[in-house]
Amino acid sequence: MATHEEITESLMVFTENYNKNERLKIMNKDWNRIVVVQATDVESLHTLTLLDGVVSLKEGKSNDPDLTVISDSETLADIFYGDITPTEPYNNGSLRIIGSEDDIIRLDFISLMIWGE
Amino acid sequence: MKRVVSVSLGSARRDHRVQVELLGEPFEIARRGTDGDFDRAVGLLKELDGKVDAIGLGGIDVFLFVRQKRFAIQDGLRLMESVKITPVVDGSGLKNTLEREVVRILARETNLIKKGTKVLMVSSVDRFGMAEALSELGCDVTFGDLIFTAGIPYPIKTVEELEEIANKILPEIAKMPFHMIYPTGKKQESQDEAKVQKFAGYYQDAEVIAGDFHLIRRFMPSGLKGQTILTNTTTPDDIGFLKEKGAGTLVTTTPEYEGRSFGTNVMEAALVAVLGKPWAEVTPEDYLDLLERLNFRPRVLNL
Repeated sequence: MATHEEITESLMVFTENYNKNERLKIMNKDWNRIVVVQATDVESLHTLTLLDGVVSLKEGKSNDPDLTVISDSETLADIFYGDITPTEPYNNGSLRIIGSEDDIIRLDFISLMIWGE
Repeated sequence: MKRVVSVSLGSARRDHRVQVELLGEPFEIARRGTDGDFDRAVGLLKELDGKVDAIGLGGIDVFLFVRQKRFAIQDGLRLMESVKITPVVDGSGLKNTLEREVVRILARETNLIKKGTKVLMVSSVDRFGMAEALSELGCDVTFGDLIFTAGIPYPIKTVEELEEIANKILPEIAKMPFHMIYPTGKKQESQDEAKVQKFAGYYQDAEVIAGDFHLIRRFMPSGLKGQTILTNTTTPDDIGFLKEKGAGTLVTTTPEYEGRSFGTNVMEAALVAVLGKPWAEVTPEDYLDLLERLNFRPRVLNL
């Protein structure tokens, strides 16, 4: 089990890597979205905000998210540190994403663009 | 008579059956859609296994080739592996040979494609041979894979960048449920209106729109100005649709039988049946030689 602090740290790493990637920022200029990340086994909520291609992170939940990413703390930390891709936990049901299918696919592509081989 | 059947995840409304002669041998070629129902497709494949000469898998890719690398779509593999006896193909082998040739023929014999022609490929990782051939010819190609598959308005402009991005994302995308990355079943009969509007400019700016017909159709806006469509698997209804949208010319890479241009999977299955050797042993040279003997030519239709 990962702690809330570890999830925060992993999301900071994700945010930093995303924002260092100029190409990703160009790709997502049109995609303003609020993404809530919620752990199921520890008290841990975060909000990632994509605005004009740039991602920012804050602790706590946002009221009207476009996407909500839900999983156990260990899986969330692994995904956002880039140790695993979201595909397998998503396919086996241990990662749930609430939102439109188009947004889910796009979020998956973004994580692969950051962490892919 | 040899029998070749294409089992497709696409709509059953496109089902068709023709009798043709290939190198003097009679063939019955049929297409059977399963409306996006994966289990129905598996059932049909098992039913046909051992009873026909070759099977094509339609509405899904099994293998994507990016230069020398091959990526296997997991859902496609599951379908392929349900067939134990009959040779089964997905068309990727033929795409990699036939479609390169088609681009060269069009450049040599028509004025539809030349250096500097603006081409939109709605998806290119499923047709890397065509993508490379267009690029080698000096066309101004926009590879629309991110745009039309992921909704990311990022036109890829070089084969090198296409390859780099494909290597990052394909190993994982190949594991996703296929319906998330490609329109299957009923989705093939409708358009994604939001994306049609959002991405219309890419279609309007192009002189040639190339690639998978279901993707081309799903995102095609009205008011085209005589663009050339380079694709296959078109029906008479599709031709009417293209006319209505303002396309000027339709080029299909596979031959027309009774008003239909079948998918590459069907044609590859027929060629494997002609060759009579295991698919794993078939080489690109086998296909090229056979295509020449059969005098396969792209069909150019003024709309």
